[in-house]
Amino acid sequence: MSLPKITRLPSARLLGSISHLHLQHQQLLLPSLLPLSVPRRAVTPSPYRRPGQPREDKPPWQKINFDFWKGVGGIKKHFALLKKEFFERWTGPEGKPILEHMLEQNRVVWEFRHPESLEDWTVSSDQEIGGQSTVNLKLGKNDTCYLYGTLNSTPPRDGETRYSGYCTMRSKQPLISFDRKKHHDWTSFNTLHLRVRGDGRPWMINIAAETYYSHQKDDIYCYFLYTRGGPYWQDVKIPFSKFFLTHRGRIQDDQHPVWLDKINTIGFTLGDKADGPFQLEIDFIGVSKDFAHTEEFAYELYKKNPEV
Amino acid sequence: MKCTRCLLQLQSLRLGVQPVRPAVQYAALLQSASPSLTSVPHNPQLQVLRRFHGSPVCAKTPPVKAIKEEEKKKERSLVTQDGLFEQIPEDAKSEATFKKVVDVFLKRDIRRRGHVEFIYAALKKMPEFGVERDLAIYNKLLDVFPKEVFVPRNFIQRMFNHYPRQQECGVQVLEQMETYGIIPNMETKVRLVQVFGEKSHPMRKFQRMMYWFPKFKNLNPYPVPHQLPEDPVDLARFSLTRIANDKDARITIYQMPCTDITESGEEVTLPHIVGIQGPDQMELLAKHNPSRPVFVEGPFPLWLRKKCVHYYILRADPIPAEEKVEEPYDPERCFDYPLQLDLDLDRDFGDEEDFDVEDLDEGPVFAMCMTGQGDQSTLNQWISGLQQTNPILGQVPTFFRLEPGLKELQGARDSDSKNHQRQDHDTQREEGEDEKEREVTAEEEPRSRRQGMKQ
Repeated sequence: MSLPKITRLPSARLLGSISHLHLQHQQLLLPSLLPLSVPRRAVTPSPYRRPGQPREDKPPWQKINFDFWKGVGGIKKHFALLKKEFFERWTGPEGKPILEHMLEQNRVVWEFRHPESLEDWTVSSDQEIGGQSTVNLKLGKNDTCYLYGTLNSTPPRDGETRYSGYCTMRSKQPLISFDRKKHHDWTSFNTLHLRVRGDGRPWMINIAAETYYSHQKDDIYCYFLYTRGGPYWQDVKIPFSKFFLTHRGRIQDDQHPVWLDKINTIGFTLGDKADGPFQLEIDFIGVSKDFAHTEEFAYELYKKNPEV
Repeated sequence: MKCTRCLLQLQSLRLGVQPVRPAVQYAALLQSASPSLTSVPHNPQLQVLRRFHGSPVCAKTPPVKAIKEEEKKKERSLVTQDGLFEQIPEDAKSEATFKKVVDVFLKRDIRRRGHVEFIYAALKKMPEFGVERDLAIYNKLLDVFPKEVFVPRNFIQRMFNHYPRQQECGVQVLEQMETYGIIPNMETKVRLVQVFGEKSHPMRKFQRMMYWFPKFKNLNPYPVPHQLPEDPVDLARFSLTRIANDKDARITIYQMPCTDITESGEEVTLPHIVGIQGPDQMELLAKHNPSRPVFVEGPFPLWLRKKCVHYYILRADPIPAEEKVEEPYDPERCFDYPLQLDLDLDRDFGDEEDFDVEDLDEGPVFAMCMTGQGDQSTLNQWISGLQQTNPILGQVPTFFRLEPGLKELQGARDSDSKNHQRQDHDTQREEGEDEKEREVTAEEEPRSRRQGMKQ
């Protein structure tokens, strides 16, 4: 499961030699431990591995659990899903009558009314890269999603990582039978609608869409979510045309609007460098069609930085 | 131009020569003893090379048996960059001293040797000097780079990464500006063009920043100034207007912060109490059923950039369904525009505008306040102040649910909290009683929390 390894890691490779300098004192103390950090770039992007952590040398078949009863449970689950998938078609697309599906103006994609709804989400913080932030997710007292924790932007002392301090919550990739991917199809909508209550901190909304090439797998469409703070709920409408393309936390030069036919996940990231506790409550996440909004893409599409 | 090319050649020569150097130096030492050894033609070249301090890669692998003088010089050249900043005492750290340090470095050597290390050290020390948000300082740091040396002069140099360490350093300066949210100006651009050329990596970074930053600059619909007001009352006023989300809401300062000296000579500090209440909230409170209690809850955090302030709210539980009264619109409230339309039109599927979600009913919020001291007696004072405009508060029982630390907003479920009930609204209480009360709440709080856990 690579989902908890959320992607927004600081890119240490471009300026890898800097961290060497930053740790000049440590190097005086430990001359042999820290090698000269050379910019490294693998051919295929592998999941993040902490500096100094040994590479896992297991063959892939040793990572699989060959339990009999797990297999039986899997067969039950997957055939139930297959049956549901098969019979849903008789009613209409996605189990809804065709008229309702075609004329749908707004759809609630995630709501948090019972504890099972939290199972669609994963949380992660910079503890994966050695940081000290903590993040927790629970069902709030009024049946809302309550995300809380502490942000700490002290970078880990591993000699390479320069920035730290993020907390994220990300939805899981929806799967249908036999672990095939299912995507959210939001082509008939143009606005993301959220009902949130925060504590005044700015968040970032990340939408990950299905990509074709493997080097695009960290491509994420981002936009900001500013919270007001205070005891009142806040309805936030963000047009999808405002989302811009980023790759591993860096804005890309070549922008294009997010393609809404295959949306995999949505995530919320906090990383505003203000150390301390935070909280965010989410009532629901929906998509809607705003007829007043006609913009296709908020940023220029002409070729920028020509002749690079 | 020519001289830089010479320097380049010399540098490459030097890298090649380096492993041999200890031996040569040995030879040079020996030479004084026995003039018969013939390494004379190498020596003048070496002299020239040693002057040119090109890249600290050499410093990382110092020759094992170097001449003492040279070793000393190298030590100095590496350590002093950081040391220039270290020498400044803690209390003298300011923008002026930072500029002075940069000037000292600029005047020290015309060739600016070790400037990359110096810039990295300066970037690291900027927050300590409090200049991390100063554009002029960043421009000054970019000025440290020697001009025109790193500009590629032909297409091959332009094609490859020309002077990568220096370019990375320049990018790093810009990245720190990005981290602190500073938009570069034309001076930055001129410096970058002078130092790295038109199409270098730092220039690209600059162009990207200038493209994206103005787009994102004014996105925040609830802007917070960089310089928050120092005065706690002003800060409270700013935060309360932010969270109240009501232009008509009125701010009342119930108590200004002041320090009094009592007759016995003790210093008594009175905390500030600033409250906010809008007309809608007053209306809600006036309609509140007096037999149901209201709650003072808090402290809840509010973040204004890097600063966290806390506020308290006065709220009630949601009105149960049987007590809810549907109030019809007053048709005379607005003559120009009908507030209610009874058109019998067929609604289609496509006309549904609402989301299919259960509505959250969390109960009304009647007022909010911020205070310097979140104990019960202070908040009592706030309630008494509110009572002057909202007389119903005299009949309504008020509960205090004050918990330090992070708390969820508006727990409607555990409304039967067993906290201390505040019955009377006398402001002129004796201090002893207050203290007793505080003790009582302190005792009761853990109990109520335990009960909450059980539920």
